Amino acid sequence: MENDKKRLVIMAILTVTLLAGAVLFGYKMVLEKEITLPNIASLIVPVVLIVFMIFFIGRRYKDVSKGMPLEDERSKNIMNRVAAMSFYTSLYWLLAISMFEPFFAKVLFSSEKLDASQTTGGAIAGMAIFFAIYWIYYNHKGNISN
Amino acid sequence: MKTRIKEFRAKYNLTQEDLAKKVGVRRETIVFLEQGKYNPSLKLAYDIAKTLSSTIDELFIFD
Repeated sequence: MENDKKRLVIMAILTVTLLAGAVLFGYKMVLEKEITLPNIASLIVPVVLIVFMIFFIGRRYKDVSKGMPLEDERSKNIMNRVAAMSFYTSLYWLLAISMFEPFFAKVLFSSEKLDASQTTGGAIAGMAIFFAIYWIYYNHKGNISN
Repeated sequence: MKTRIKEFRAKYNLTQEDLAKKVGVRRETIVFLEQGKYNPSLKLAYDIAKTLSSTIDELFIFD
């Protein structure tokens, strides 16, 4: 039980770090007057993650305080399935990025090509979004074996 | 799969939370088990049966 609480504290610290990073990024964006679509998109992903983590940590803390475990066989199975599915789906996402690179570059960055950081950023953001969607889906589905 | 967990839980006056704590799982797992939406591992099925002084055969009815 103490280990579960320690893990929740580590999650909370990571969330606060992410929040600090998002605030600094937002502040820099406003300060340098670079309020562009890609910058806003870069800010939306951590903000969504922070809101999700606050909700998740709050709920789990209540459960752990009542004496229930942080993880059990169902939640571990869900994490395994979600990790596998988000990895699998992200392969298609990477393929889409490489196929429609000129389109993404033109629409999001008004340029001819995406650079390495834009491509990896898009890939990571996509993977994170797929992970969140699958997590919500499998968490509500019940039986994850089929 | 159908289960009789709810029936047995009521017999021993246990809440979903009590049963979850006793077998070391989260309450949601008990909820999905009672709805027949989750297939437990053999160990969890055994632990629940033992906690409810029953057997796996009595608790879980496979269609």
